[in-house]
Amino acid sequence: MNTDNTKAQMRKGILEYCILAVLSRNSCYAIDIINELRKAQVIVVEGTLYPLLTRQKNAGLLSYRWEESPQGPPRKYYELTELGKIYLNDLDKVWEELVDSVNQIRGKNK
Amino acid sequence: MKITVNINLGGYAFNIDEDAYERLRQYLKSIEMVLSGENSAAEIITDIEGRVAELFRMRMNTYKQVITMKDVEEVMAILGSPEVIGGSEPSGSEPGRSARRIYRDADMRIFGGVCAGLAAYLNIDPLIMRIIFVFLIIAGGIGLGIYLVLWLVLPEAKTTAQKLEMRGEDVTIENIKDSVKREFETVRKKMNL
Repeated sequence: MNTDNTKAQMRKGILEYCILAVLSRNSCYAIDIINELRKAQVIVVEGTLYPLLTRQKNAGLLSYRWEESPQGPPRKYYELTELGKIYLNDLDKVWEELVDSVNQIRGKNK
Repeated sequence: MKITVNINLGGYAFNIDEDAYERLRQYLKSIEMVLSGENSAAEIITDIEGRVAELFRMRMNTYKQVITMKDVEEVMAILGSPEVIGGSEPSGSEPGRSARRIYRDADMRIFGGVCAGLAAYLNIDPLIMRIIFVFLIIAGGIGLGIYLVLWLVLPEAKTTAQKLEMRGEDVTIENIKDSVKREFETVRKKMNL
């Protein structure tokens, strides 16, 4: 078994959840999200984020507005929609359950 | 001295070295390939191009007016490989046995490419496979029947992706590129260019 692959799969699984969680605090530009995710070691390269943001936007979870930037083209600032907030709430619950489940199993193994 | 190309990226004009331009073009093209099939592929690529433009502009100043290969490579490292962007498996994952499929290998064929295809699948020398079949044909005649049936049922590996599958290699852009390069070399040798 390849542990690197397993780790990557685990990170990938929670990536969408993490993006929504970052955006629940305030609206963000893609790079703000990336910096946050990178600090938490959930993401390695920037490119992964763009397809996910677009997919979440198309699913109605996110909306964006354009803002001028000092360094280049105008930037897309993303924020959660009402649907996104409901969805995130659901995911919060699932995450708590998952943590509980894993802790329970790990406890038994001791 | 180098020739530069003028490009429009995310609404900004850049002067870029010719070799760097070629590298960037290939990179964006590969991203487009891994995203093909997605209905919002164009939008994702626009986002990525916008980000590339932004990263380029951060590298420009009064003394540096031209984008070089080094800039392009740095930006590519920040954004990640096309495979990672497309969300496919991280390269380094082992190709499973199931990724391998049997095809007829027309490139190595004597008759139908059945033996060559089986040999590629089993990762042995085609000659061994041929000896086994010739032996079967001489010994009882059953070999000929098996051969003809296999010739009928096995599909021929036509596309590069199928040829990679036949050899059990991952169908990634890098592998396809390598494989096409190999085929090109073979053709060139054959034609004595």
